[in-house]
Amino acid sequence: MLTAVKNQFKITLLSVKYALQREMLNKFTFFSNIIFMIINNGCFLIQWIILYSLRDGIGGYSFRQILLLWGLAAGTYGFSHFFFKNSYGLSSAINEGRLDNYLVQPKNVLLSLITSNVDVSAMGDILYGYIMIFIYGFEIKTFLLYTLFMVIGGIVLTSVAIIWGSLAFWFGKVDMVANTMNGLPTSFATYPDGIFKGFIKLLFYTIIPIGFASYMPIQIITDFNIYYFFVVISVTILFVILAFLIFYKGLKRYSSSNLMNVRV
Amino acid sequence: MKKYLYIYKTKLMTDLQYTFDLLLGFVGYIIHIFIFLNLWQYIYSNPKELINGYSMSQMIWYVIITEILWTCLSGRAFSKDVSNDVKSGNIAYNINKPYNYVEYALFNHLGGATIRFILLTIIGLTIGFVFLNGFPPLGILQILAVLLSSFLATIISIFLIMSLSLISFFIEDASPFYWIYSKFILVVGTIFPIEFFPEVIKPFIKFSPIYAVSYGPAKLFVDFNMTDFISIMISQVAYLIISFIICHLIYKKGVKKLNVNGG
Amino acid sequence: MSVIKVKNLSKTFKVKLKEKGLKGSLKSLVKPKYKIIKAVKDISFEVEKGEMIAFIGPNGAGKSTSIKMMTGILFPDKGSIDILGLDPSKDRKKLAYEIGCVFGQKEQLWTHLTPYDNFKFFGAIYDIPNSIVEKKIKELNELFELDEFINTPVRNLSLGQRIRCEIVASLIHEPKVLFLDEPTIGLDPVVKENIRSLIKRMNKEYKTTVVLTSHDVGDIEKLCKRVIIVNKGQIVLDDTMENLKYHYLNKKIVEAKMNKEVNLDDEEGITILKDKGYNLKIEVDTKKKSVSDAIKLLNPDNIVDINITNIPLEDIISDIYKDGDE
Repeated sequence: MLTAVKNQFKITLLSVKYALQREMLNKFTFFSNIIFMIINNGCFLIQWIILYSLRDGIGGYSFRQILLLWGLAAGTYGFSHFFFKNSYGLSSAINEGRLDNYLVQPKNVLLSLITSNVDVSAMGDILYGYIMIFIYGFEIKTFLLYTLFMVIGGIVLTSVAIIWGSLAFWFGKVDMVANTMNGLPTSFATYPDGIFKGFIKLLFYTIIPIGFASYMPIQIITDFNIYYFFVVISVTILFVILAFLIFYKGLKRYSSSNLMNVRV
Repeated sequence: MKKYLYIYKTKLMTDLQYTFDLLLGFVGYIIHIFIFLNLWQYIYSNPKELINGYSMSQMIWYVIITEILWTCLSGRAFSKDVSNDVKSGNIAYNINKPYNYVEYALFNHLGGATIRFILLTIIGLTIGFVFLNGFPPLGILQILAVLLSSFLATIISIFLIMSLSLISFFIEDASPFYWIYSKFILVVGTIFPIEFFPEVIKPFIKFSPIYAVSYGPAKLFVDFNMTDFISIMISQVAYLIISFIICHLIYKKGVKKLNVNGG
Repeated sequence: MSVIKVKNLSKTFKVKLKEKGLKGSLKSLVKPKYKIIKAVKDISFEVEKGEMIAFIGPNGAGKSTSIKMMTGILFPDKGSIDILGLDPSKDRKKLAYEIGCVFGQKEQLWTHLTPYDNFKFFGAIYDIPNSIVEKKIKELNELFELDEFINTPVRNLSLGQRIRCEIVASLIHEPKVLFLDEPTIGLDPVVKENIRSLIKRMNKEYKTTVVLTSHDVGDIEKLCKRVIIVNKGQIVLDDTMENLKYHYLNKKIVEAKMNKEVNLDDEEGITILKDKGYNLKIEVDTKKKSVSDAIKLLNPDNIVDINITNIPLEDIISDIYKDGDE
């Protein structure tokens, strides 16, 4: 059992390493992608500087906490898109029959698939997240907690993407719906939750789970709360289990590329 | 002119077939408006308050309009299409056709933009009407003025984006140019009216394309007055002429280079 | 000893029908229409250890679907599959260690890496210790003659070289059964021939059981002793290559462009399919007359252009159906 996990981990890392090598073939594109993404995120700080010149404590957040919010939004997005890029193209992979090669290998199909490609510009997001943490104020504890929550939040976002993508097993072409749904966390995650009221907050703790990926972690980083900490960890585990369950349930309906030839 | 109108109509009819996908694509727009609705409601402590001369509902209307103008452009896809036409040699193929590529691309893209504009306007006005209890006070003439200004803004944007994308004639990857332009418009031009920026920056923004493609139509919708209308029209006409000339110049230079190098 | 036992295997696909436009989209959301496609209908067969068997049939006959069920990619609707005592739908991972797969239309190699690095990656996938992988690569390198390009990135290789590498990659873990789905698709005749002989050599060397699919009869003629022909999801023939050749592959089509008219009426073993003066299309029954004799009858001096082909698979299948009716 333990060796199996170790071997799986080894393959996952190798896979990411090779995918990264592939992206580094063109050094100029590689670095410009990363740098552009950092500048891209940086641009939006202008918005917050103006907003905070109008009023302080928007949504109960200090300006420093806004930096943390931005850092975590970029970091979780970056982690998820860098290591698990293919979970965002899962529905088309299912429809086009691109699971075949992974199904004949003695490894976890889902992990093999989602780690077989990396998004280089997502490295810019990860770096940007750390830049924000340094501006926020560097402390070993903040740094470690931030890193942990970047990983955890990234896993939550990935799990949700897998769930949306897996719907393709049942409903076929769901790319547009999945893309739209996967865009929602990113849209909301850069705004403080305090400005929202009512039912939308419920969404943050269900289908747009940035409550667990961003808002609760920020609470924990600014003012450590053991209760929140365990809630976030357990919910993440639940999301992962749910994603795997749904994917493997759907896999039984997988039709490879056999349906590609059928056009009516 | 007739053939360009035909291109426009064909594109419009084709895109109409994919209305469902189009509507799904507008979810992002709706979310943005929703977020700003909440944001400004939070920032304005009472709805009567004025910040930099704008009331809360004016601020939200401002974003509703600027985001319609930006989203209906679908600029990234357009920029990619034009760059691909240059790189794939499609343009070389089009040179011998009895129409000008620049006008072809303009009218073709305008076809798609029209549908998006109509649908987004319906969505945007509905959201505004429901959450802000009614429309800003505008008469028929003012509405026509806003429409005219929106139309000019869209054409100017298309020319500007096309110019930036046609740089592909000369360098390998022109996408950073579009990217910088889009960030400029989005961050500086869609969220806040010019009045929100520091005094030193204001004149720069006023002479930048933002005034013509984003601020202008939105400002007229939110708070119509004759002085603004005249200066916006002057800016738009000037930008229309400039962008038209630049776009054609780049195209001509590019084609010349293509002929010399044999494509 | 049977290594593959397939019993009453069936698979159907449900395809959603969609009309264009907004109305169509809404319609298919509210009340979706489906079309049922029976890809595989109740097939049964067994394969012995070390056997080389071919699945042939036209596109969409169900051969890929069958192979995908045997390898654990697709879940069968009905029936049972037993590969080396394992059920592919239940013991997918266990089975993966025992079988190798090559899909002619789906590359599994990293194209920016060299074949050598790819093979090592596959070694890791199958948890093989490094020293053993290196020995295995050396051995397969010789067998498949990869020396020339084993250190060239895969993206710079020709299609034929790539397929060779794909096959080697699927043999790293010494599978007991090898599945080849359209391994020679898109290759030119010379390369095809080369791949065939390599597969044959491999089968001889390792006694690996091989199941391959193709829609090209020529692919199999020289490779397999046994053939299963599938059409519309059913097995229409399960026979030795020898029998198939004797009964159905004994006819050749000869198309010739002449500069003089010839009269071949009443010649034994020749059926005239088309005769438009200078353009001639005949069918030669090689049991009664050899192809070279037929060409002599045409008089080689008068031939402007000539083309000799096998009878299309579709015709063989309809021939088999006809025989069944009699």
